[in-house]
Amino acid sequence: MMEFPAARLVAALATALALTACSANDDQQTTPGSGATLRVNWGGFPESWAPGAEGEAGYTRVPYENLVEVVKGEVKPMLATSWEQTDTALTLKLREGVVFHDGTPFNAEAVKVNLETVRDAPGPYAGPLKVIKSIDATDDLTVTLNLTEPTPSMLTTLSTRATPMTSPKSIADKSIAQTPVGTGPWAYDAGSSTTGTRMTFTAFDRYWGTAPAFKTIALYAIPDDNQAVGALSSGEIDLSDVEPNAIDRLKGTPGMETLMYPAIRNNPMFFDRGPGGVFEDVNVRRAACYALDTATYVKVEPDMAVRSQHFAEGEPGYNPAVTGYTHDLARAKSLAGGKQISFEVLAAPFTQKQNEVYASQLSALGWDVKVQVAPPPQWAATWNSGKYPYGLGANDELTPFDWYQAWFAADAPGNPSGTESPALKAAADAAIQAGATPEANALWAEVTKVIADEALTCAHIAGQETLAWNSAKVTGVAAPANAWEPNLVNYRDLKPAGA
Amino acid sequence: MSRLIAYRLALALPQLAAVSLVVFLLTYLIPGSPAAAILGERADPESIARLEAQLGLDRNPLVRLGEWFSGAAAGDLGTSISSALPVTDLLLTRLPATLSLAFGGMVVATAAGIGLGVLAGVRPGGPRDRIITAGTSVGLSVPEFWFGLILTLLFAVELRWVPVVGYVPLTTDPAAWARGLILPSIALGIGAAALIARQTRGAMAEALTSRYVDTLTAAGVPRRKIIGYAFKNAMVPVLATMGITFRILFATSLVVEVVFAFPGVGNLLLTSVIGKDFPVVQGGVLIVAALVIAVNLLIDVGYGLLNPRVRPQ
Repeated sequence: MMEFPAARLVAALATALALTACSANDDQQTTPGSGATLRVNWGGFPESWAPGAEGEAGYTRVPYENLVEVVKGEVKPMLATSWEQTDTALTLKLREGVVFHDGTPFNAEAVKVNLETVRDAPGPYAGPLKVIKSIDATDDLTVTLNLTEPTPSMLTTLSTRATPMTSPKSIADKSIAQTPVGTGPWAYDAGSSTTGTRMTFTAFDRYWGTAPAFKTIALYAIPDDNQAVGALSSGEIDLSDVEPNAIDRLKGTPGMETLMYPAIRNNPMFFDRGPGGVFEDVNVRRAACYALDTATYVKVEPDMAVRSQHFAEGEPGYNPAVTGYTHDLARAKSLAGGKQISFEVLAAPFTQKQNEVYASQLSALGWDVKVQVAPPPQWAATWNSGKYPYGLGANDELTPFDWYQAWFAADAPGNPSGTESPALKAAADAAIQAGATPEANALWAEVTKVIADEALTCAHIAGQETLAWNSAKVTGVAAPANAWEPNLVNYRDLKPAGA
Repeated sequence: MSRLIAYRLALALPQLAAVSLVVFLLTYLIPGSPAAAILGERADPESIARLEAQLGLDRNPLVRLGEWFSGAAAGDLGTSISSALPVTDLLLTRLPATLSLAFGGMVVATAAGIGLGVLAGVRPGGPRDRIITAGTSVGLSVPEFWFGLILTLLFAVELRWVPVVGYVPLTTDPAAWARGLILPSIALGIGAAALIARQTRGAMAEALTSRYVDTLTAAGVPRRKIIGYAFKNAMVPVLATMGITFRILFATSLVVEVVFAFPGVGNLLLTSVIGKDFPVVQGGVLIVAALVIAVNLLIDVGYGLLNPRVRPQ
């Protein structure tokens, strides 16, 4: 028997919570997600939806579309139906009858506004667009990008999440940051959304293409992987990006399926290649490459996969003759010739483990490698600045031209020593000259081979993205066609289960 | 009482100014440039320098601090570096979720803490006291994020009584708001509840051994009424504990927000610290500091109401 009103208060509160909880169960059965609503989580909403701002593709590709798309290395029409590229310009013919979700017509002027916004915005995507000197809206459906130098990768850049087409009206009034307005099959529905928790997108009835099978897509931002797995298991969401270790936990949940696909790739870079540098000698670089044992590393990191080279089979730049540096410590020691090397490497928290494993492997050569850890902003600003002779980071360039320009050209931001061998320069120049001709692929494959032979980088690894979904709610789930994009699914192919 | 409120309000302003100054200085001590964080890992030094100039980061820190203070006084906390949105708007959008969670955590901490403390304190040494005391030890030692995950597994995943994630604004759907608050509030409030329960138990047990209790018992006053008198006296030290507890609770709520995907100030602060979005960090800390000061003021007022001796003369 209770002796004091406080105890009754506790009992009353518990009863109220229980009653509220019971009603939660009732509500869950009517929560959107069954039928034509797909509920998806990618861990965190973009801070801004403006073109040029960084955001996970799983969010931005719901309302936004690009001028072109790249499927298995081949550029295909999207909002642009055809194109013509020269060394100095890229001219695109635009699709007729396309409108943005706010009714603004999609035309050459809209393309100009979007690309200029990305190019001039202070963001991570501006770099690849700096080669656009000017943009001419020749007529309503023709736009020409005037280039400062031959840029064979420009079409690929136009397919990435760096260059979505958004409403110029929303860009002008700056509402685009919080209210995405694109041309995609689903339009943002602010009335059905809860800021920070759920963003709802409904089928756009003036969409130019085939109507999607799911009428509504509700996007969630659940940062904690355990909670995301819980939400999948309880049926609150239908699809989510999860950590690989969640696969086993989800096996007991009926209807739960998973897949992994390769996305971001990373590899060590030897920055100090200039005269007198730690890695000036190609044999020292090769020794390091043979000492690094990626096969062992992926055993402790199941979301990583070993690759022989940066590009995958079927992608421009792939060279079947490049087999990589398979771990061979005896050969590594022979190449190192007993040379004692001591250096520091800067790691971010998310690359610390990999750096420490690699440092341990390099120590088998008698080298002294110290790993320093810095917060992400400091790491991002310093790791490839030239202060450290060696570094480990993501290589997310989609084309061999971009990869070469980012890391290996004499003036590349990722080549602080500024050195480039005559062989590499000759191979790259030949490939650049080939432009978009059929011969270009073979020439870029040769560039890949030179980079591998000179051991400018090695120990290639691809991060594996893991998707988990409830097959009782959604079917047709596959890796996205957009190459290398993490946190994404093939939205347009998805169908409600039983449809 | 009005003097107490006026005095505490007058103290709040220099406190907030001091907090802002410390945060401003701390953000300068964190290594790395915000411009480098925005531009990504392959930004060249020229681009970083250009963006720093564009964002005004190359200007005299004292000038920037002065501008920030004058803006803050007018309600303008600056512009977010990463989203280019007004910081005040960003924080006001996130504040309801944080206040909801803090409110839920306080309700759990207060109701469970005082309720259990009284139940244990009226029969010290009895079986109920031992069970509750053991329970509070667990409550004090279990991390909130772990407790949150266990609650989720049990009540959301297995029993499906409540949603795993599901913050809904109070104005949109009060029932859904309450449902979404249940698990995060329990996870947030459980540690504070354990602390308050211990303090209440001790204060209650002590009050019930006072001489006035013996007198009332001898006079034939019913036990229920005596417990009521003792409870009021026991609450004086408990309120002091609650002041400290709620401060801890605010800090913990930042972690709980992340675990339960609550779109509050804590979540925003976390992403802003990682992205070196100084204006948002400064504004967010100012808001949290203001909330803590406001809660402490309320507790001081409650303390004064319960105990006239502490009111300023």
